[in-house]
Amino acid sequence: MKKDSSLLAWGLLFPTLLVLGCFVIYPALQSFVLSFQDVEPFSKQSFFIGFENYMVLFRSPDYWQSLRVTFFFLVMTVIPSLLLSLAIAITLDANPFFQNFLRTLFLLPVAISSSMAAMLWIFIYNPTAGFLNYILDVMGIQGPNWLADPDYALVAIAVATVWKEIGFNIIFFLAGLTAIPTELKEAAELDGASPRQRLFYVVLPLLSPTLFFVSVVSVINSLQSFGQIHILTAGGPMGESTTLVYNLYRDAFVKFRTGLASSEAVVLFILIMGATVFQFRMAKKRVHYG
Amino acid sequence: MANVEITKVRKCFGNVEVLHEISLSIQTGEFVVLVGPSGCGKSTLLRMVAGLDVPTSGTIAIDSEIVNSMPPKLRGVAMVFQNYALYPHMTVRQNLSFGLKLAKVDSLEIKKRVLESSEILGIQDHLDKKPGQLSGGQKQRVAMGRAMVRQPKVFLFDEPLSNLDAQLRVKMRTELSLLHRRVQATSIYVTHDQVEAMTLADRIAVMYQGKLEQVGKPLELYQNPKTKFVASFIGTPSMNFIEGEILTKLKPPKGSVCGGFRPESTFLSEEGAPAKLFLGKGRVVLVEPLGAMAYVHVSLAGQTVIIEAKSEVFPKNEDPVSVWIDPTKIFFFQDNGNRL
Repeated sequence: MKKDSSLLAWGLLFPTLLVLGCFVIYPALQSFVLSFQDVEPFSKQSFFIGFENYMVLFRSPDYWQSLRVTFFFLVMTVIPSLLLSLAIAITLDANPFFQNFLRTLFLLPVAISSSMAAMLWIFIYNPTAGFLNYILDVMGIQGPNWLADPDYALVAIAVATVWKEIGFNIIFFLAGLTAIPTELKEAAELDGASPRQRLFYVVLPLLSPTLFFVSVVSVINSLQSFGQIHILTAGGPMGESTTLVYNLYRDAFVKFRTGLASSEAVVLFILIMGATVFQFRMAKKRVHYG
Repeated sequence: MANVEITKVRKCFGNVEVLHEISLSIQTGEFVVLVGPSGCGKSTLLRMVAGLDVPTSGTIAIDSEIVNSMPPKLRGVAMVFQNYALYPHMTVRQNLSFGLKLAKVDSLEIKKRVLESSEILGIQDHLDKKPGQLSGGQKQRVAMGRAMVRQPKVFLFDEPLSNLDAQLRVKMRTELSLLHRRVQATSIYVTHDQVEAMTLADRIAVMYQGKLEQVGKPLELYQNPKTKFVASFIGTPSMNFIEGEILTKLKPPKGSVCGGFRPESTFLSEEGAPAKLFLGKGRVVLVEPLGAMAYVHVSLAGQTVIIEAKSEVFPKNEDPVSVWIDPTKIFFFQDNGNRL
């Protein structure tokens, strides 16, 4: 009987394991192996070269530049996205009127594909016919060429990314806020807590599991951002929006340096893993599961 | 400690009026229980005293000061919630001291009060645990402790024992009663359990459909109910009612009347009490033995009456029996539910 159910379990898991094995685990392992090889771009020949790819990578100023850009992009997307979505979710939770309508409105960008969203922002950021510069012009301000100016390109992409991601975060925060029992907020009110104290001493600690989950997902999403960068700036101008992932893409599919790109993928994996482990460590002290 | 004066308080949610001009005066140190069936408005009234809801009209005064527009924290009230409402991310100690810290009470004083109340409630060994590590009874004690440490003018209890199992409920009820005797705090206690109301209250306010039916001492309500609802709600098992007409009174009331008599005023034999009135012959439909006594359900003229039988031998199902009542213990109610 036990053997039968075990067989059934493996049978049910098999399709998923097959897909995961073929499209996730095997490519990941292959990427790890390739990172120690020099791969000829137009033949199937590859040679073991040890840590040479990694040495090239860490000696490359372009790579360090992309690491710096990735860090700034991470800060410019994750922090505003979390703060803004949390503020909107708290406001919506406190004012149930039009909540469904507004929730749908904020969720709409999530439902749009990355390329569609990027095209929309290209129109908004257009230096001559764009809506943003039109508004600035009305206010008497000369708007820059947002996507071609090295000082503004990354910020412009970050704004578009936050706009796209915010709805996803709001939904999770709203669900988390709804799950906090009203009695706890009322008990705090009777204990003499002001609205700000209720937020910081009761609501946020109880929302911490959701906050933790959303922040982990946001960091991973930010580190893996590609579509909007590709369409809006293609990594330019002057590499000011070339993130680690975009650098990897260019090395792998434009320059055909498969071995080097694989080593970048491995380093990116270690960075994401490191960031996630750091978040989990922090969470041990600050996340309350009730 | 303070008195609470509720004057002509109404509460409407949209077009629905859930409380109709409630007036109730609670003396300093008194333990008043608001009792009634679910949806009668007792919790709404309590929440308005707490400041969590605002009356549509009427006034609520605590310590002779009208508090209608005063925020909860300034009213000097503390509330114990039905589901305890303990902060799950804080330890018991932090739960107890949270309100005091917000009020910027001196840390030594906080320590002293937390220790005192935890000793009174027997939770001193659990101060560093989180609520998730406590049993239902311990959580309830912490919830009471949280109210106690603030030394409020008025304690408010919103069905605090209803989440506990039957045995623990009885234990906590006794503890609560002893605690009140010790602290002598003005308390308003909401419950739908009339046994809790009878055992805890100095006075009971019976509510029904958003109105106060009767306010009085527990035995007064039991022995002298003013309405049919109070007669039926107070007492377990409920009062027996038999519909009929009064034929011999000089000015008989219009419409039918209802005669009510309690199970302990009803007998299965003529022996024992001198002034018994023969009610009729019936058949036993159910016997609920409780040890020294039993509740015998008898089908009589198409209605079922419950009789408290004190005997060594109880009748069996389907046994024919004669039913007698004490005529001095019969209550008559009009069609509108008021007592004649």
